Amino acid sequence: MKDKEEEYKEIFLAEAMDNFEEINRLLTHLEKNKSDKNTIHALFRITHTLKGNASGMGYGGIAEIAHVLEDLFGEVRDGRIVLEENLFASVFKAIDVLGNLIDAIKDNSEVKYKGIKTKLEVVIKRAKEEAKTGASVSAQEAISPFAPEPDMGSELLSEESDSPGEADNKVSFSDLVQVPVRKLDNLLNLVGELIIEKDRILASNASNRTYASNEYARLSRISSDLQYSVMDVRMVQVGFLFNKFHRVVRDAASLEKKSVALQLEGTDTEIDRNVLQVISDSLIHIIRNCVGHGIEDPEERVKRGKPREGVITLNASSETDAVLIEISDDGKGLDYDRIKSKAIARNLITAEDAVNLSKDDLSMLIFEPGFSTMDQVTAISGRGVGMDVVKKTLDSIGGTIRVASIEGQGTVIQLSLPSSMAVKSSLLFELREEIYAIPLAYTESVISLYKSNLHKAGGGLVATHLGKNIAVVFLKDVFEQQVEKHGYTANVLQAAFDNIHPEEKLDIVVVSFNNRTVGFVVDKLLQQKEIVEKPLMRPVDKIKFISGVTILGSGNVCLVLNVPQILHFIFSLSMGSKSSRNFTLN
Amino acid sequence: MAEIKTSTEQKGGQRSLQIVVFKLGNEEYGLHIDQIKEVVITPAITRMPQTPSFVKGVANIRGNVIAIFDLEDRFNLTRTIQERGSKYTLVVESEDVKLGLLVNEVPNTISVSASDLDESVGIINDSSSETNYIKGIIKSGQRLIILIDIFKVIDHEMNSSIKKASVAA
Repeated sequence: MKDKEEEYKEIFLAEAMDNFEEINRLLTHLEKNKSDKNTIHALFRITHTLKGNASGMGYGGIAEIAHVLEDLFGEVRDGRIVLEENLFASVFKAIDVLGNLIDAIKDNSEVKYKGIKTKLEVVIKRAKEEAKTGASVSAQEAISPFAPEPDMGSELLSEESDSPGEADNKVSFSDLVQVPVRKLDNLLNLVGELIIEKDRILASNASNRTYASNEYARLSRISSDLQYSVMDVRMVQVGFLFNKFHRVVRDAASLEKKSVALQLEGTDTEIDRNVLQVISDSLIHIIRNCVGHGIEDPEERVKRGKPREGVITLNASSETDAVLIEISDDGKGLDYDRIKSKAIARNLITAEDAVNLSKDDLSMLIFEPGFSTMDQVTAISGRGVGMDVVKKTLDSIGGTIRVASIEGQGTVIQLSLPSSMAVKSSLLFELREEIYAIPLAYTESVISLYKSNLHKAGGGLVATHLGKNIAVVFLKDVFEQQVEKHGYTANVLQAAFDNIHPEEKLDIVVVSFNNRTVGFVVDKLLQQKEIVEKPLMRPVDKIKFISGVTILGSGNVCLVLNVPQILHFIFSLSMGSKSSRNFTLN
Repeated sequence: MAEIKTSTEQKGGQRSLQIVVFKLGNEEYGLHIDQIKEVVITPAITRMPQTPSFVKGVANIRGNVIAIFDLEDRFNLTRTIQERGSKYTLVVESEDVKLGLLVNEVPNTISVSASDLDESVGIINDSSSETNYIKGIIKSGQRLIILIDIFKVIDHEMNSSIKKASVAA
């Protein structure tokens, strides 16, 4: 926790130094062009930001000076104070004190600031009084009666050198460097290449026994340290994104004439910046949906014995390989009957199927394209676009989405996101002499069964594992599907099963995605490995079963399976053969 | 590569074309030299699911993973390329696509005069393809070389078959 505070402090310092320099620049500019409205506006904004940040961090001195400067620039902006030379001198003085205060955070030294603050306050107060009497006064007059007075301001003046601007001749440098994400991406790519190259060298020397493996231990350690350091650099706190949602909630709530509060939890959870960027739109959408669909009107809430104000909670937490983000509201919850009737009306499910569907299955229906239970379309929700896009977005980065809801008490939407997009732990396996990788994020377990353990059921195969029935699919059957062929023959998913020897032992990787669990039969399981996935290149970038490639130590290309798409394919295939109705889930 | 183009154009009437010639089936095919990046010994190819049969798979060429095409398969020519044994890969590159073509022998480069290229020949087109990827026929001595625009072949293929694949899936 100590580290976190240090990090906050560093970030604040860097921002404050930036602000300080910007104020100096703008003020110098303003001194030359006194009537430049834009500059005054900019100064007002910056001092306001600085005030906010400083008071948030508990640096009272900076906040107070920034506050009085903000007031001053506010008055100047409104034309109640005219900036004159003398006033500039005081303002520069105040800025210098501000700079000193910022520096003082680093070494915990004390800086006197009350004097200059009081002085500026008097100027503002006087200007306000003058404004009441109607006359706009020159700040020169306002200041002059005070200049000779030996108040705290002059005490401060005497402490430092006479002319402002020379007060601090040291040019200060921030301890933080701003780097464009593009450069970080490039750095990570290079590290990826390095890891691949390292693996290649290790693999090529593995057979050579004269080199002990610890020859390369150092290389391995350094390169993996490097990799994690670079990944760490790309981590940002979810708070950066979460804090932007206060406005989203406010706007959505005022549009819907509802009263909603946003609570943030776990804002210091760290996640890859790119993941955060990809999901930001989805989160906005979910939050708007919570306001639009979840939270009831204030009157209705009171009627139901709830507080008038609805609460949406955003909670982030990290797990080993993933970051969980939960969006919960205390609204009315999902209306399962309504979802059911809507889904039947839209031919997504049949009336017979609907009876058997569990609540979880019904919840997943809201992610179908064009699905909305809202009868009226409002400005922000009810158009039925979006939740399917949210799901697609999550699929694309290997995340999952789950919904749980209790009627009348609220809904929880849980997103599970990879904490980093670059490196994936994967399981390598062999299928028809090629090596494939399957991201561990999707794998549940690895089991081995005999042919006799598998049974034909319907168009597919089932096996019992740990008391659970799971569908089993020979991956080669899936890959052999002719894409051009549209009329599926009934038993395509049993072809390989029919051809194997009864005694044969089968390696099965159990994968699960969105509550669908399937066992993939592969030829041979290899090892578990951290891989750096690269996207597919044109012209083969539209292949759905493969999400990307990686290069193995041997230099060969290894394909990374796109589990959501494969499962989707399998299920749409089995649905297609089971009923004549064209049941597609996408 | 741009320089080659301008220099040939500057010669005016004496314009010559640099053509890389390779054998497919029993015929000789040619590509403009500026579409070709390099010729490499064919690396290990990883097969891809959901691709038409003329896409042999993907391979790692100098750190880039590129798709490998077999044009004999694509053009339904007499098979001379062995599935796993073809020795060389012609790497072709445009602004947005990079891929490899399997060939049996090291392709040779010839320089032909622009007047040897007959672009208006009445070739009976493959009726199934909308774009005509055959740019013309080159007569060079006794040889007849079919000049193709590889990117038109790819564009067409990719737009039809792979789109179909993604729709079906």
